[in-house]
Amino acid sequence: MPLLLGRLGRTESLSGWALVSPAAVLIGIFGLLPVVMSLVLSFQHSDLLTPETPWVGLDNYRKLAEDPVFVEAIKHTIIYTALFVPGTMLVGLFVASAMNRSVRFISVYRTTAYITMAVSTISQGIIFLWLTDRDYGLVNAALNSVGVPSQPFLASPSQALYVIVAMTIWGWTGFSVIVYLAALQGVPAELHEAAAIDGATAFTRFRTITVPLLGPANLFLVVWLTINALQLFDEVYATTRGGPLRSTTVIVYYLWDRAFVQFDAGYAAAMAYALFVVILLITAVQFRIARKHAHIS
Amino acid sequence: MTKPQLSTLTAEPEVPELSELPAPTERRSRLRLPFSPWHLVLIPLSFLLVVPLLWMLVTSLETEGEANRFPPVLIPENPRFENYSEAWAAAPFGHFFLNSLMVTLVVLVSNLIVCSLAGYAFARIRFLGRGALFVTLMATLMVPFQVTMIPVFLIVKWFGDNVADGLGIDHIGALMLPNLATAFGIFFLRQFFQTVPVELEEAARVDGTSRLGVLVKIVLPLSLPALSTLAALTVLTSWNDFLWPLIVITSHDQMTVPLGLSYFQGAHRVKWPLLMAANVMSLLPMLLVFIGAQRYFVQSVANTGLKG
Amino acid sequence: MIGRRLCLALVAVLAFVLAACGGGGTSSSGPTEIAVWHGYQDTEGDVFKGLIDQYNKSHPDVKVTELYSSNDLVLQKVLTAVRGNSAPDVAYMFGSWSPNIAKIPQLVNMSDVVSAPDWKWDDFYPAEREAATVGDKIVGVPALVDNLAIVYNKKLFADAGVAPPSPNWTWDDFRAAAAKLTDPAKGQYGWLIPADGSEDTVWHYVPMLWEAGGDILSSDNQHAVFNSEAGVKALTTLQQMAVTDKSLYLDTTNENGPKLMNSGKVAMLVTGPWDLSSLSDIEYGVQVMPTFAGSSGAHQTISGPDNWVVFNNGDKKKKAALDFVKWLTAPEQVKAFSLGTGDLPTRVSVGKDQELLAKMNETLPGSVTFVENLNNVKKVRPQVEQYPAISEALGQAIVSVMLGKEQPAAALNSAVQAADTALAGK
Repeated sequence: MPLLLGRLGRTESLSGWALVSPAAVLIGIFGLLPVVMSLVLSFQHSDLLTPETPWVGLDNYRKLAEDPVFVEAIKHTIIYTALFVPGTMLVGLFVASAMNRSVRFISVYRTTAYITMAVSTISQGIIFLWLTDRDYGLVNAALNSVGVPSQPFLASPSQALYVIVAMTIWGWTGFSVIVYLAALQGVPAELHEAAAIDGATAFTRFRTITVPLLGPANLFLVVWLTINALQLFDEVYATTRGGPLRSTTVIVYYLWDRAFVQFDAGYAAAMAYALFVVILLITAVQFRIARKHAHIS
Repeated sequence: MTKPQLSTLTAEPEVPELSELPAPTERRSRLRLPFSPWHLVLIPLSFLLVVPLLWMLVTSLETEGEANRFPPVLIPENPRFENYSEAWAAAPFGHFFLNSLMVTLVVLVSNLIVCSLAGYAFARIRFLGRGALFVTLMATLMVPFQVTMIPVFLIVKWFGDNVADGLGIDHIGALMLPNLATAFGIFFLRQFFQTVPVELEEAARVDGTSRLGVLVKIVLPLSLPALSTLAALTVLTSWNDFLWPLIVITSHDQMTVPLGLSYFQGAHRVKWPLLMAANVMSLLPMLLVFIGAQRYFVQSVANTGLKG
Repeated sequence: MIGRRLCLALVAVLAFVLAACGGGGTSSSGPTEIAVWHGYQDTEGDVFKGLIDQYNKSHPDVKVTELYSSNDLVLQKVLTAVRGNSAPDVAYMFGSWSPNIAKIPQLVNMSDVVSAPDWKWDDFYPAEREAATVGDKIVGVPALVDNLAIVYNKKLFADAGVAPPSPNWTWDDFRAAAAKLTDPAKGQYGWLIPADGSEDTVWHYVPMLWEAGGDILSSDNQHAVFNSEAGVKALTTLQQMAVTDKSLYLDTTNENGPKLMNSGKVAMLVTGPWDLSSLSDIEYGVQVMPTFAGSSGAHQTISGPDNWVVFNNGDKKKKAALDFVKWLTAPEQVKAFSLGTGDLPTRVSVGKDQELLAKMNETLPGSVTFVENLNNVKKVRPQVEQYPAISEALGQAIVSVMLGKEQPAAALNSAVQAADTALAGK
């Protein structure tokens, strides 16, 4: 996308910084400063109880490298993210394009998408725990009726993580839909009309006109969903608490446990920082790919 | 620049968009349904999405005994509407609603303004250090709140002690302060501002409009769907925020709705019917706002300017 | 257009807010304010607030204010508050946190305080006193006590023709009954256990370990010893019911116990008095846990006492807070609280009060058994700061065995290794 050719240099920078400064100041104080303070914490031994927080240098990080549970947590987090992000985007795009029509009650449908996001993760957790219950849940009742034996789902170390993927895709679809709906509004109808008159099918039109114009929305979703997926906590807390047998222990859940259950906050901060570096790298790669893609198209 | 015609935005025509109609050769062979076939897809989809809410509604009308069954009771014997009045009376919810409202309003307005300014700058202005600043701001999204909450607490406490009482611990100002701008909002708007046709902005610049002027007069009006989406998301996050208010607020008169909801969650027992009733009541304002703002989600064709 | 309107709105709201938030300053003269954080709701909340009102009326120089904060989350809140120098004066803290919160400098060490005769410290059940003691510190005053016993569904027993639990039962009897009461076709189970691997799981296993004659840690608290023969025996019992008989329902949500019980899907629960009020739809009985035949452990159960802890926010507040806690935990108020809420009395003298027991059994049948069961609390969980790590290792081992993934001996051995590492670490 071509940038405006204005007077480069000082005036551009000045107006740029002028517009950005309120955000920079606010986020600097309440976002960056805590992040830096947490970095300091990761080099200390802190139990959150006593004010003494002795400096331990890289000790926490060293422990991290040898921690088998942390390695497990990384594995789970990666699997989760790899499934959740594309899943949510695809489902969201499908639902959003279905909803992006001037049919009657369209605002009702949109409202249902929105309202799913308003339901607390606790309620979501309860419902899913019930729906997937081995003995009394609806999903197994349905499976049984077609001859499939009951599955333990969230009670099974091998299935639980995948059920959480499904549960969170369900929970985040609303968000994905809302974002895509806003993006789809920016696709000019005239382009579709012209292509339709030329005889292109709905699917072709979708593929060649709509999808490319969704570039910015896609980047936003992929980045934001990834950042969130890598920091998964609430839904695990609301259902399995990292179990059974640690199969759903993801990084942030593990670090919360270390900080508030085991009273080892310095270690938790170190974990957060290791995670932070990873998220930063992945996000940078995503932006790089997007830029290359934009240049090519 | 004319104001968008609101009348065109509110009407929801039954007639499908031109882009939807099948090509002339296909039309005759299509079945004519009395309603758009998309309803057949949308209804089950929406139902799936709405299941949690339905469960909440059902539970909110049950008795304690019914709510304490597993598998859950799907149809309460005698729907207990008193749960709602009881839930309301259990805690000073009126006050909580007011507090939540004030916090959410301030956070919303602040975010819309500050993130628009910054989002536009990141989207369109090539200024020195832009990349580095963007990355730095984005970095704040990458450290979990469980880790940063204590430093934030200490910073907010400092503000309360040194700047103004109302901004410090145990005041709703403390709920607003850390949330007045988020990198999320900036990132979101940056992406959407990039989709606004650059030619329109260039034309205005040539006419001598300042950057700010371009933003306010051209970009923002064309970004209503994005702005209203951000507004909807910001309202949602702010209204439902639980962990931060939990840590910061101690006095009953400063509490927000989610804290009030925790009244029903005991150490050993959760009072599901009352909790769900309170939960449903707390969803209503967001729902109403969302429904009321529906028209802003639709982009009027007349505003793309491409029709000349 | 939009921008201007929004700006005006923002300014208006900010002005309103800042004006409204002016106040909050406390006067230096006037009654001393004491902030009490607790997790009581409904009946307990009402009774507690009543007690506070009573105290405020009779002590015009003190003003006690209370704040409800859900017990699960209050620790995060307290820790943050302590760091920010805005700790409460009195807080209700789970007993399991004692060894760790003992390290908080602002926490008042009660050992000198409660030795004064008017506190009647020895009137508290021994287990409570032990749970409040960490080394030479006493971190708080008992606020709540409970224990585990069998709660069973009378109708399910009658329908299956099985004799209800008796005080003479052994775990073999229990196992046999559970098996007879399990009917997969109906989705009915003999017994249910919280199986999320948390302390809830662990503290169901621990009394069995004690009854079998074992212990969690060595007497010097230096090594984990729960992989003894007794430990394996206790865990094997769980394994037999969970894996072999499949009569033990594994509740990984940790919430469904009372619900399933109330729906008649589970015949027995080993739980505490707090679940009794959820069982409104069934007729239940309460009985002590069975013993292991031939074991020296005899009848034992576990208790999870919680404490009122006091934070030092200056001499004046500290004194007022201590006075309040002394009054709150005095026999008279303990009796009033138990009468009003049905919670077990924390004091031995009150536990012998016939009038109280009769009334409690009337409102919540079975309460008397729980009160008497307090005499079976012979041991407490180790008061070491590494206990959370030990609990985690043990919890994972127990769940692993119940899921059929490991054998008891192997699982306990790995858990002991993990526990020993934790003990050596700090």
